[in-house]
Amino acid sequence: MTSLMDHPSRGETIGYSFSQPTAAPVKEHSFYPYTDNGGSTLGITGSDFAILAGDTRSTSGYNINSRMVPKVFKIGGDDETGEGAHILLSVVGFAADGNALKERLDTVVKMYKYQHGKSMSVGACAQRLSTILYQKRFFPYYVHAILAGLDEEGKGALYSYDPVGSYEREQCRAAGAASSLIMPFLDNQVNFKNQYIPGSGEGHALEPKKAEPLPQETVKQLVRDAFTSAVERHIEVGDHLQVMIITKDGVEEVYHPLKKD
Amino acid sequence: MDKLVAQYSRPSHQNEFYSEQEQQDLSESTPPLSLKFNLPPVDNSSAFLRAMTDDHSNPSCPIKLAHGTTTLSFRFQGGIIVCTDSRATAGNWIASQTVKKVIPVSRLSRGEDKPTNEPTPGLLGTMAGGAADCQYWLRYLSQQCTLHEIRHKRRITVAAASKILANLTYAYKGYGLSMGTMLAGMTPQEGPALYYIDSDGTRLPGNLFCVGSGQTFAYGVLDAEYRYDLTEREALDLGRRAILAAMHRDAYSGGFINLYHVKEEGWVHHGFDDMNPIFWKTKLDHGEFSNVTSEL
Amino acid sequence: MRGPTIIKAEDDKTRQLNKHTLMAFSGEAGDTVQFAEYIQANIQLYTMRNDTELSPSAVSSFVRGELARSLRSRSPYTVNLLLGGMDPITEKPHLYWVDYLASLAPVPYAAHGYAQFYCLSILDKHHNPNISLDEGIKLLGMCTDELKRRLPIDYKGVLVKVVTKEGVKVVDFDNDRIVRSA
Repeated sequence: MTSLMDHPSRGETIGYSFSQPTAAPVKEHSFYPYTDNGGSTLGITGSDFAILAGDTRSTSGYNINSRMVPKVFKIGGDDETGEGAHILLSVVGFAADGNALKERLDTVVKMYKYQHGKSMSVGACAQRLSTILYQKRFFPYYVHAILAGLDEEGKGALYSYDPVGSYEREQCRAAGAASSLIMPFLDNQVNFKNQYIPGSGEGHALEPKKAEPLPQETVKQLVRDAFTSAVERHIEVGDHLQVMIITKDGVEEVYHPLKKD
Repeated sequence: MDKLVAQYSRPSHQNEFYSEQEQQDLSESTPPLSLKFNLPPVDNSSAFLRAMTDDHSNPSCPIKLAHGTTTLSFRFQGGIIVCTDSRATAGNWIASQTVKKVIPVSRLSRGEDKPTNEPTPGLLGTMAGGAADCQYWLRYLSQQCTLHEIRHKRRITVAAASKILANLTYAYKGYGLSMGTMLAGMTPQEGPALYYIDSDGTRLPGNLFCVGSGQTFAYGVLDAEYRYDLTEREALDLGRRAILAAMHRDAYSGGFINLYHVKEEGWVHHGFDDMNPIFWKTKLDHGEFSNVTSEL
Repeated sequence: MRGPTIIKAEDDKTRQLNKHTLMAFSGEAGDTVQFAEYIQANIQLYTMRNDTELSPSAVSSFVRGELARSLRSRSPYTVNLLLGGMDPITEKPHLYWVDYLASLAPVPYAAHGYAQFYCLSILDKHHNPNISLDEGIKLLGMCTDELKRRLPIDYKGVLVKVVTKEGVKVVDFDNDRIVRSA
């Protein structure tokens, strides 16, 4: 509890030999260290794989800065090639914060391996990412992160985060600019929300269709459909679709073209 | 001015990559659930945070945090009932319908939610307000409870655990935390014990609490039929019905009904059930919700 | 209420519009009674001129119309209303919820202000269209008990009136019961 007192109280991070004028607050209402670089990401799990995908457009306002800025990263692999990675991270929102977050988590996962001689489990990594985000509770990373990997049983695992680190394991999640377009589609097609078994009853007795893990090919197609549709209706999404699939054999990365208008 | 000079007169290599302290933090074997937080480089950090994240005072704020809830908990002769909804909202957007707002706090049951009928020893915490705040600080509390258990060779009392949390929220008062949580547990020293703790630093023991945007609706149903000598069946049904009432009337609550019962031997999970079939069953079998009708 | 003072504890915040319709109101001081009595006078005028009574649904449309007109004037009335009535021909009860923005909704039960947050969930659970007057009064008791328990203000009791096909009458209601919370 003592470390509570170590907090540098506001405005006196530097030791002065003379007293500071406390009144006359500095004008700071223009301090705005964030920008939204747009784009969208999406993750879906299956029984033995997990897919993370994101478009590669980078925008600021109505300008398209670049058509090839990937948002999905391999965590804990080789610096150059990403080889040996067993965890995937996607970040969408403010790209600079996203990069900083990726670097942080990558370092942590590597350190863990060097110190313990084994790779970090996805569950542990998920909780660590949560604490990393929460360390900046009072000056948040402006990002929505999704973490994917395989759990101890070899099943696909997907964790989604809010900007300050609340997290939850899910079957599917869309984040970013077009999340409100993609997420309802996913609810219906992955979790079978509002789908019922035909002829199972009348009115309220109608049985809802049970959700179960989808085969990889179906999921891949869903991901592509989600993005081609999002591109049609959102200006910040487009150019290329980056898809990473993690299975017991490793990570496979593919790019698909998207419309460039 | 001095601030500026000090900022730029450091050797530039010190600003590169991670500082020594940061490298230390990163290489520590256990991830520190530390109390050291990064603050924005402004004089009034809570005003900054509010400008960036407070959806209520600034609907166009850039960072939307997960919010909105109904949670309830009450003591009765057979223990404690804990019940919540499962919706998380960010502005008008429903961020999730499957949030687990009851968080086990203890060493023996840490983070696990096994589908078993065996009671699991330990405390339960509920989550209302900022999702990350509740998750993080209940995790921190879990850690402290574990340490207590190791040091003293017995489980922590609910009174002590709630005091740890209340002291924490009080220390961070004014920083912009947002949480309203209830701690429920049964210990040999206290019997069934229930505490309410919030981010103002309030800590209250009591028989019955509802927390969140839907609290009034839950109170309405609960107060009308609450007695201490409720049977277990009645208590579980009343808890479930009170959350259903709040889900129906409060737009920020909904999703699934998450129900727990804390007994002497530990807590038991009584389901995470979709509200929709429960609503229609309640309406059609008992003739309730007469405002839902196709006639004018 | 005027500043921090209660001027009168037993003020009648209802007006009878015709034999089978009663209107309860709350809102801006002055506006409430002025608007209610304006409506009351016009409904009575209609009844006298045409020698017939307007049905509750017709009254509700008139009230909503007047409120909507006032809303678009220079100084709109700030009043929230509950309109209860018995249709003298079909002998069916009607309740209308009207707010100061002239939204109108036919409902089985209603409340305005903070009372909504506490009472609607109770009514959702315990109301059904076939209850007797006694059961209705009991249900109202549950609502006022909850308000006594949880509202941070003391509203000094309620005045209860009931509309039947015989007309409007005041019902005895125990306002002195002391309620304790759990």
